[in-house]
Amino acid sequence: MKISFVLNGKKRTADVQPDMRVVDLLREHLHLTGTKEGCGSGECGACTILVDGESRLSCLMLAAQLEGKRITTIEGLSKGKRLHPVQEAFVESGAVQCGFCTPGMVMTAVDMLSRNPDPSRDEIREGISGNLCRCTGYQKIVDAIEAAAKDKSR
Amino acid sequence: MAREVLLPHTIDGLWEIIRSEPGARLYAGGTDLLVKLRPQAHLPSSSPGTLVCLDRIEELKGIHEEDGLVCIRACTTHSEIMRDPVIRRHFPVLTKALRLLGSPQVRNMGTIGGNICTASPAGDTLTPLYALGASVETRSCDSGRLMPLKSFILGPGKAALQEGEILYGIWITKDLDFNIHHFEKVGQRKALAIAIASMAALIKLSDEGVIEKIRLAWGSVAPTVLSSQTIEDALTGKPLTEDALRDVMPLVMDAVSPINDVRASAGYRRRVTANLLLRLLQYRNAGFEGLRIQEKIRSTNF
Amino acid sequence: MKREKQIPFRIGEATPRCDARTKVTGQERYAADYYGDHFFWAGVKRAGIPHGKLIKVHTEDAKKLKGVVAVLTSEDVPGSNRVGIIRGDQPVLADKKICYAGDPLALVIAENKETLQAALALITFDHEPLPGVFDVEEALRKDAPLVHEDSPGGNLLRLVSVETGKGASAFDECDVIVEGVFETPFQEHAYLETEAGWAYLDDSGQLVVVTTTQTPFRDRNEMAPALGIDVEKIRVIVPYLGGAFGGKDGITIQCLLGLSALHTGGVPVKMWWGREESFLASVKRLSARMRYRLGVKRDGTFHALECRAYFDTGAYAGLGETVMTLGLEHAGSAYRIPNVSIKGSCVYTNNAVGGPFRGFGVTQVTAAMERIVDMAAQKLSVDPLAIRRVNAVERGDKNCIGVTLTHSTGIKKCLAALSDHPLWREREGWKMKAGQFKKRGVGIACMAHAMGYPAVVPDFANAKIEFTGEGRFRIYAGIVDMGQGNASTYAHIAGALLGQEASAFELIQPDTERTLPSGSSSASRTTYVYGNALVIAVEDLKKKILDKALRLFSTAQAEELMLVPGGIRHRKDKKKVSLKEVAGLFDESERFYTAYFRSPAATEMLDRIYLGPHIIFSYGAHLAYVEIDTLTGCIEVTGYLAVTDAGNVINPQAYEQQIQGGIAQGIGFALSEDYKAANGHADTNSLATYIIPTAMDVPDMLSVAADNAEETGPFGMKGIGEISISGPVPAIANAVADACGIRIGRNPITVENIFRALWEQNDQERPR
Repeated sequence: MKISFVLNGKKRTADVQPDMRVVDLLREHLHLTGTKEGCGSGECGACTILVDGESRLSCLMLAAQLEGKRITTIEGLSKGKRLHPVQEAFVESGAVQCGFCTPGMVMTAVDMLSRNPDPSRDEIREGISGNLCRCTGYQKIVDAIEAAAKDKSR
Repeated sequence: MAREVLLPHTIDGLWEIIRSEPGARLYAGGTDLLVKLRPQAHLPSSSPGTLVCLDRIEELKGIHEEDGLVCIRACTTHSEIMRDPVIRRHFPVLTKALRLLGSPQVRNMGTIGGNICTASPAGDTLTPLYALGASVETRSCDSGRLMPLKSFILGPGKAALQEGEILYGIWITKDLDFNIHHFEKVGQRKALAIAIASMAALIKLSDEGVIEKIRLAWGSVAPTVLSSQTIEDALTGKPLTEDALRDVMPLVMDAVSPINDVRASAGYRRRVTANLLLRLLQYRNAGFEGLRIQEKIRSTNF
Repeated sequence: MKREKQIPFRIGEATPRCDARTKVTGQERYAADYYGDHFFWAGVKRAGIPHGKLIKVHTEDAKKLKGVVAVLTSEDVPGSNRVGIIRGDQPVLADKKICYAGDPLALVIAENKETLQAALALITFDHEPLPGVFDVEEALRKDAPLVHEDSPGGNLLRLVSVETGKGASAFDECDVIVEGVFETPFQEHAYLETEAGWAYLDDSGQLVVVTTTQTPFRDRNEMAPALGIDVEKIRVIVPYLGGAFGGKDGITIQCLLGLSALHTGGVPVKMWWGREESFLASVKRLSARMRYRLGVKRDGTFHALECRAYFDTGAYAGLGETVMTLGLEHAGSAYRIPNVSIKGSCVYTNNAVGGPFRGFGVTQVTAAMERIVDMAAQKLSVDPLAIRRVNAVERGDKNCIGVTLTHSTGIKKCLAALSDHPLWREREGWKMKAGQFKKRGVGIACMAHAMGYPAVVPDFANAKIEFTGEGRFRIYAGIVDMGQGNASTYAHIAGALLGQEASAFELIQPDTERTLPSGSSSASRTTYVYGNALVIAVEDLKKKILDKALRLFSTAQAEELMLVPGGIRHRKDKKKVSLKEVAGLFDESERFYTAYFRSPAATEMLDRIYLGPHIIFSYGAHLAYVEIDTLTGCIEVTGYLAVTDAGNVINPQAYEQQIQGGIAQGIGFALSEDYKAANGHADTNSLATYIIPTAMDVPDMLSVAADNAEETGPFGMKGIGEISISGPVPAIANAVADACGIRIGRNPITVENIFRALWEQNDQERPR
């Protein structure tokens, strides 16, 4: 089945089985391995991408559902060597340890900040509550998102 | 053994599919069905068969007001409902409950219709909807039905959908004239948690602190959401005090029929459900404090 | 904290990690991120029953399926079919027995994932069920079913005992005695990246394995005899891991990958465990049951300690006995106790396999000891902080197994800093502000954690650094970076010594063909041991660079030259040459510098405890603020302070990362991670039922580093990786006791446990 969608700003067509999971389409078919899989059942958030700007779990989406949608993956955030402000903040604040949760966490943060540009720390914690991290204890991730929010507003 | 995945854009398109493939499985957000269908080691690949995603049918989405009622179409996502100003103004108990459902991503994908039709005893939309006295509208290609939500949920995992029918919309009466809108969910952690017990409460409290009207609903403590006219009658006309609440707690413990499972024991659920009533004491100064809490919900950005 | 220009690394300065950029853009490739043009998928059929005699595995139907490349059983394993670094009791593919539900019975290689799943579903097996044993003390009974019939001790894998002073008879000299039974359950690592990798046989017949492991060199040594391959013909390559915490220490997926690669005619084969498979098959923190007795003098000094512990190592030995032993070595936490009687039994059961998990066995005993210390304080009507300060060890004291502490010992400094902190000082005021139906409490705990291997196991690293033709530096990191940031710290150390900044460095992750043996990524050793070796190699390299550079300056003295980012500058006349120019003066044979470092180890009392004692310890003192909701039993940690003695701080940002991460795992272990299993079957077998903390379940954590250098460490540091995980269980349990007077001897303290206890306390009717 041919599916057409916009991926990281570019029009794409993928000829895949319609019931292929989007996380597999991205990783196996399009070789975009930035999106990770941590559980396959919607519990960990590692597979988070943006669909029409909204954070969604790509392990619980089927390829056919991509038709006509605008998708953003972690690979689509930075422009060349220039990191997205959220990515920059993650690097500077020490929010990245093993890094496996990071792409999903960053995508969620980008969505959150687009709706709530000046969140409190509690609101940040609520906003990333669907992304599990086992390494950081979340604190530096909250620091990073807080810093990114301030940075954007400058 | 790939499955077909169809995405009809109109409701007529959906009826076509249901007619030609009566065994097709419908989903909107996929947060329940696609978890169940994932291939796992040691299990045979889930049976093939057509899947139908309802996500593109505009007619099944959105919130509108009509004749003193609010209608939420079935494929409206939890996030959309949570952010809707009409819902926030009239039904803050639903907004509060949705905020505790799953996680942000699950709320972006999951729909109210999906949550209702899954009919889990722990369904987070169900408890507030019972308290709100919601009705559900179902439709098939040539007919429609309207019934109280209570009648639609038959048991754990069982909704009263007939062959060829879909859940079309949820109807809730506006101007219910309550000034306390309360929801609490007990879970093993603060997000991504299946409710161990939950309670929705709507109260009209007089200036003297007397309960003029009350609706209560409890989730995860019976095969379906529990509401009790007896308990509501017992509290009507009483002052909102600890004694008055403690007096009805034994009635609550008798009314529930919880189970033991991996998350909690029946005994714990029974006792906690009754205890949750005492949380209502925070609204004793409903004239001022309760409204402040409501305003906070209305203005929170999420 | 953005850096505007090229600033060289400086010790003690918060510095972003070198790997952060590639990870935050999704460019960094983990073991599961390789997808070739043509490769196969491999998967394993697991037993699903906890104990039985294996009679036959039926693979015929699976083999017939179109797209199946091979279906293998134990008969197809060319070597010994056994792994397990100490006992070698674990099969690659089960042959005679099934000892736990995760035992692998057959290995399928298929052209795609769908065929793999279909083939696995067609595999069946004949077995004779055997009664299982699932409790440590029951497993030690004479009539208990044996997990390994050929084990010399039956279900007792190892008994370890330490007695000092008068042992238990010293209790007669005590004024106050407290006792308790404490239990800690299995804990799941729940790393976000599950076990993954791929393997192939190259043209020269070498087996190349790219995989998630903390132990590449040790793995080769295990894979070789197990699979009947020459160790020199095995190459293990390890990308950055997506977390491990001990769960990827030793053989997990490697032999299965290696065995698969022998049957694909050169086509690469990939394996990636799903989350449920990881839950089923991976090792867990050993569960422990510990009976403690502490005898104290009226003046608060600890006089006698008795600890009788049982550690459940599950179906296979693995490293279980060393986990227990390290625990027993810390049975008395960070205190002076002149008379001890410590005994531990490491026991086989048909439960999940016990293995390393951050903290090893120390987390278990600290959970017990720090609670009994509070009980003693209460009985003596003494402040819990004061009783700890009285007994905390100092350098020169003997630790609880009677070994003299010859290295830095900063627990007293930690306690002093804690007692000065506003969070300690303001605790009573905070508690009094508890709202309706809330109870507030505050609890503290001390902890110690030994760094490195036990004395008789050589703890060494081989650093390797290359000065490239471009004038940059390539560090061949010998120890796997599983997320703790040691690779980045190697660059930090080299950068500080060489006056260079991050872009001057390239980090090569462990690869048995390119990096040198440096031991496991474990035991809080990964910066200390490799860092020390790297310092030597870098100093040699630096000297050579300056010597060579002299040829480019008209001066005669190397001391007048200094290294700056990208070059060398004369201190006086400011003339600068680039490192590339200097590199041009190096012969190819001069580019590589290596150095060996072996960590100091005990030379006395080697028979005091199995494999010998440790001599370098890190310390911590933690404070937890806890609020209990009496209506539901929900416990919230609203504040947390950790004061740590891990020597000097090389990178405050990396230091805090380790402390915060360990605390969060400890909070999960304390409150929500309730591993439940009955008769060898886990009910909590997914992330939906095994509850790890989300961002809403962990508070902001304050971390303070006690000022206490460890002279033998690179720039005065010592181990930081594990110390903090042992604080939360006892600190929170002590806070709960402070809030409502209830002491619960097991963790997690779930909403239900505390609720029942509160309700029993209030003497209300029992649950129906």
